[in-house]
Amino acid sequence: MKGTELILRALHAKGVKYIFGYTGGTIMPVIDEMGKQHDLFTFVMPRHEQGATFMAQGLSRASLSTDNPQIGVCMSTSGPGAMNLVTGIADAHMDSVPIVAITGQVATGVIATDAFQESDVVGVMMPICKQTYMPLAVDEIEKTIHEAFYVATTGRFGPVVIDIPKDVQLQETAKKYSFDLKKYQPRLPGFYYHPSPERDVLHKAIELINRSERPVMFCGHGVISSNAGEMLQEFAEKTNIPVAFTLHGLSAMPIDHPLSLGMMGMHGTVEANRAVMNADLIISFGMRFDDRVTGKLSEYAKNADVIHVEIDPSELDKNVATSVAINADVARTLHVILHDPELTSKPRRRWLKEIAENRKITLAEAEKELSVGVGDDGKLLMKTIVSRLSTITEGKDIIVPDVGQHQMMAARFYNFQTNNSWFSSGGAGTMGCSLPMAIGAKLARPDERVWSISGDGGFQMNIQELGTIMEQGTDVKIMILNNGYLGMVRQWQTLFFDGRYAGTPMLSPDFGLIAKAYNIPYQKVTELDKVDAAIRAAAEHEGAYLLEFICDPSEVILPMIPAGGGFGDMIVSRQKA
Amino acid sequence: MTVKKMKRRAILAFVQNKPGTLNKISMMIRRKMYNVDTLTVCKAKPLGVSRMTFTLREDDEARVLQLIRQLEKFTEVIRAKELDPDTSYWREVAIIKFELGKKTLEKLQKTYQFEILDSQPHDIHIIQIAGPTDRLDRFLEDLGAEHLIEIARTGVTALDK
Repeated sequence: MKGTELILRALHAKGVKYIFGYTGGTIMPVIDEMGKQHDLFTFVMPRHEQGATFMAQGLSRASLSTDNPQIGVCMSTSGPGAMNLVTGIADAHMDSVPIVAITGQVATGVIATDAFQESDVVGVMMPICKQTYMPLAVDEIEKTIHEAFYVATTGRFGPVVIDIPKDVQLQETAKKYSFDLKKYQPRLPGFYYHPSPERDVLHKAIELINRSERPVMFCGHGVISSNAGEMLQEFAEKTNIPVAFTLHGLSAMPIDHPLSLGMMGMHGTVEANRAVMNADLIISFGMRFDDRVTGKLSEYAKNADVIHVEIDPSELDKNVATSVAINADVARTLHVILHDPELTSKPRRRWLKEIAENRKITLAEAEKELSVGVGDDGKLLMKTIVSRLSTITEGKDIIVPDVGQHQMMAARFYNFQTNNSWFSSGGAGTMGCSLPMAIGAKLARPDERVWSISGDGGFQMNIQELGTIMEQGTDVKIMILNNGYLGMVRQWQTLFFDGRYAGTPMLSPDFGLIAKAYNIPYQKVTELDKVDAAIRAAAEHEGAYLLEFICDPSEVILPMIPAGGGFGDMIVSRQKA
Repeated sequence: MTVKKMKRRAILAFVQNKPGTLNKISMMIRRKMYNVDTLTVCKAKPLGVSRMTFTLREDDEARVLQLIRQLEKFTEVIRAKELDPDTSYWREVAIIKFELGKKTLEKLQKTYQFEILDSQPHDIHIIQIAGPTDRLDRFLEDLGAEHLIEIARTGVTALDK
């Protein structure tokens, strides 16, 4: 068998159905072989390789919680093709998303001679992905791909890159070559993976939980990745402990649950951040105390003991010192802890009352603007649009935001009801991720409605993927919240740069004409009383739909803890000059 | 301004002997903003495993621990740990070429007991000396910089008691 056949055989064995790829000189043989086996794979061609990485991410992230989890696979040619994958792979690494990238490489005979379209892919990818491979002989291919899938999906998830020289793809195996998947076991003595919690640390954790008067639970991406949302909710209800969410923890359980504090951190709610500040115990599940979550570390949760449940041991005690570190899978830990007979509950009347008071502050602040719906200039507010979308869809749809102000608005004002329905670029914060990621999410969950929400800036970073939507007929509802600025940076300029708007105003094209060129129905919404009808039209339409909302550039997302500030520095209310 | 000299740390890593492993480790050390003072690598007992000892400067225990955990995260790193100078031996070897009169050479050899590898006319000698870093440094001091022609040092390797 040829190398290309082995590549596809391995992918097929791993349940791969979609290949997000862009052909070129050194990946041609694989795409050619796929063309011969046309019934096995659906080839989705992005209009830029970066699009392929985010489509792969969308597929992996959205299918995780389904009965049929799939790993997104993207393919590109060597040199520029592979280099265009870099951003999406770095993004997947930051957000622990399992994807497999296969790149063609120039033939082994000319590697490291600056051959046409040659880049040192392994060298470039090494620090921004979980593992890199370059099989140098045809009989290594299957083993490599199976190991790559194992590494990508075991322990803390992450992207893996396989760089395959063209001559290796074309090599024929020896007659005696055989590969038995059933007998295959990856041999990785250095791959540390510890899924089950140790008994003694668990007991210590339970002691702390039972003793605590003002506990808060953190729900991070690990809860989503290990599909433990329901168990977390059960644990919260059983112990009567409120839950704060990281950006990636959103949609692990209904956000309007009485014990939910909403999102915490830089743009978190008042109740979440004050609860963290005043807590005597933090029980954190599957998160890494990112600077956007903690603010100034020296002031962070000073009076709290910290129980940290995390699959990646290098995250424990990294930013925040723990009292009890549990290096284990979140789902397994919750499963054990839930059924421990020593676990007790308390009414926590005072603590929950304090939280309820703070919740009122958040609600009242938002209500000030939501009740009007538009800004001082009469233009729409992003929070209005998101909360209308939330009401119309009953919080049940899949939301794929881009990066920026609108992302934080979506995080704060969408009433998440469906488990695992929020896919966002968090750690890397890659503008332009939304449109391609929404395509991948829709392919993973065709029966659910998917909304891609972007600003005018991010939308134009991967606007070319409208071509993929047109070609594939993907039913993605697209919202552009257009305020003519790079809104998040503008907000910082308003608050910390004396209102000097350097490099943020942005002239956009006529999105209506662009939608028309791609044969996608379009509506531009400038008035408040047209918002609902437009959202309904898009929701009810079969197929892609583009909605452009003209938004107030002066809107800001609050509360906000300034970068490097402590929770005491939280800006809750806008001081208007 | 004088730069405070930070504590020297020796980190031992057992790694898979594969292309790219050293690359990954050195990239992580760079990312954490350290400079590698010394680096030694040799084959370890299990087949395909290498033993890597490197030294760098850091005072903060937590940062060293963090580096070790991040190194252990690499698939290629089987085990990494810090070697405590109080409970481990740190040694290095130097090959030194110098020009020195017979009398002084004999005196030095009495003190340091090095092995003479080669003696050439005009009092040129090549010797091999092993020991802790400060012993080698002391020898070089006693030898005197004006006599030194060339030196090759391995850098520290270390072993737990």
